[in-house]
Amino acid sequence: MMPTSDNTGRRVMVLYMGTGLALTASMMFAGLMLRASQAGWMPMSPGQFYAVLTLHGAVVIVALMLCGMGGLWFLMRRQTSLSVAAAVIAYACIAAGAAAVIAATLFGGFAGLYTFLAPLPFHGSWPYWSTGAFLIGMTLITIGWMAWCMQMLGAVLRAYGGALGALAWDFVWHRKAFDASGRPLPPPEALPVLMAGFDGMLAGMSAMLLGVALIVRWLDARVLINPLWAKNLTYFFAHTYANLIIYMLAALIYVGLPYATGRKYHTSAALVVGWWCSMVLTLTNYFHHLYMDFVQPGPFQYLGELSSYLSAVPVTVVTIFSALMLVWRSGMKWTLGAIFMYTGLIGWVVGGIGAEIDATVPFNVHLHNTLWVPAHFHTYLVGGCVLFAVGWVFLCLESRSIRRTRILVRWVVGLLTFGGMAVFLMGFYCAGAYGVPRRYAIEPAPGPELAKIASIGAAVMIIGFALAFAEGVRLRFGYPEGEATIRMTQEVEA
Amino acid sequence: MSVAVKLLVMFLVFAGAAITIFLAVAYSTHLPVSEQHDVQQRGYAIRGRWFLALVLFLIASFAISIPFYPYMSAPAALAPARKVPVIAEQYAFIMASHLPVDKPIIFEVTSRDVNHDFGIYNPRGHLIAQVQAMPDYTNYLRVIFHKPGQYTARCLEYCGIGHAIMAKTFTVGGKQ
Ligand SMILES: [Cu+2]
Repeated sequence: MMPTSDNTGRRVMVLYMGTGLALTASMMFAGLMLRASQAGWMPMSPGQFYAVLTLHGAVVIVALMLCGMGGLWFLMRRQTSLSVAAAVIAYACIAAGAAAVIAATLFGGFAGLYTFLAPLPFHGSWPYWSTGAFLIGMTLITIGWMAWCMQMLGAVLRAYGGALGALAWDFVWHRKAFDASGRPLPPPEALPVLMAGFDGMLAGMSAMLLGVALIVRWLDARVLINPLWAKNLTYFFAHTYANLIIYMLAALIYVGLPYATGRKYHTSAALVVGWWCSMVLTLTNYFHHLYMDFVQPGPFQYLGELSSYLSAVPVTVVTIFSALMLVWRSGMKWTLGAIFMYTGLIGWVVGGIGAEIDATVPFNVHLHNTLWVPAHFHTYLVGGCVLFAVGWVFLCLESRSIRRTRILVRWVVGLLTFGGMAVFLMGFYCAGAYGVPRRYAIEPAPGPELAKIASIGAAVMIIGFALAFAEGVRLRFGYPEGEATIRMTQEVEA
Repeated sequence: MSVAVKLLVMFLVFAGAAITIFLAVAYSTHLPVSEQHDVQQRGYAIRGRWFLALVLFLIASFAISIPFYPYMSAPAALAPARKVPVIAEQYAFIMASHLPVDKPIIFEVTSRDVNHDFGIYNPRGHLIAQVQAMPDYTNYLRVIFHKPGQYTARCLEYCGIGHAIMAKTFTVGGKQ
């Protein structure tokens, strides 16, 4: 996998993932500030607290999205030709949007949250321009995202013979005829690409519809927006974005784990059907965000719970189970890349368990909008997505570096990162179970006490990631000299 | 056991089971290496059983949870109850300060400005019921308070800079 002559493809991946991981790292510090503020250790006014919270949420989503986009772009480029210009334009839109979001929150004090649930953006104590800057920024991000989705959809449709080919339809239903036809079968990592492209376009369209409606409302206060309509669109796109991030980064497992274990991973009928299910269920899961909206049509509440439950099936039966089979008695070497990737699977499953408990309507009465919600999504974002991205970077570094990571360093990095993370996350879960509301600048008991423990855990986790970063730099400087010369020659010739 | 402890125990049991499986698989890399073909043959058999067990468990959980949904049935909506209007606004709840014990109460919850959420904490500080407070809509939340004492309503939907101070205490029972 990693040895590749496609230097351009690699540079696009480095651009996306480098930006994504740098933004993620800075947002870890922002998040630590928020928890420390709730612990009473860091004086912040509520206005500052909510502006940083808005920034933290919006930028983390964008940052991890960039990691997944860069990773999938690189993987798809091994299958078919992709325009570098299109990828750079999409990146530029997202970067411009992110800059507007950063300006709106840090300089404008916009604190309408990354969900910008209408009509809150127009009822705030922040200057009016910052609302507009934030909305335009989010719209630019969505334009960049949709440009990427279109490019990737085009790529899978072209490479595997149209929509049915990309879905591997005949492979599942008419296996003999498919084998005889000699048509190309999408590799496992092409299915997340199709899902991200298709579901991502639908989510992008709803984000655009809502974004434009809110921008019109920003320009003309006479415009009326139905709050239930806005809420449905908000959670449809926000939930789908957040979900797609993990499914996109899961594609890196499909390539990374076979490399690390020295085993093969092929497309099977179960894998294909699993991804079909995920493609559909991801679109209907968002109803679980509206359980406490009793005016929402009743059938959607039942559908939300059933759909949320069933999404566990393709994930655990196909992706997780296959990953465990790859690792079982494979003699895999526990390099930092392998450790991060494998632990990412644990974070995904454990976060999923927290999510399923919250997606149960009778439990949601006690957990909705408590700290249980950030508990579960931090589990699968920092304990899943971030680890997949970091693990991928390490697998790439390890595949080319002549240096090796000492066992002591691996233990120290692992213990600090995952130990700190567990403490940080349990702070959220315990507070959530005790009904401490989320998004409170000043929390009722036992919030502040748990925030202290969580802050210490988060700080330890950040130290672990910082050590991993230093080790990554050391590996990077261990590339053989010959390779650098070859690359330079190629660049000169190109 | 309080609801909080039950929820945490349930989470830790499921998460602990999952982590144990992951650790066992991780440990297996120190055992003699198996051919991938042999692993797959045994693995697919286990996977089939896991698929069936998981689907049955999830569908059963779904069915069991339905009777505990908080949405008001038609007969409950028509039965006699004390109607209590609740108007949420940045950053306060406008509502009665005293409510009866052991009597069905229907909170008629709406908002004057942005989205809020009306979350009721019992005297021990546990979140026992909630419903969203939305502009242009009224949500009906049916509650029977069995214990007298001082309750607190808190806003559970982010509504602006003063979100964390948006609360209202009310007493249940005692002298009218
Ligand atoms: Cu509020």
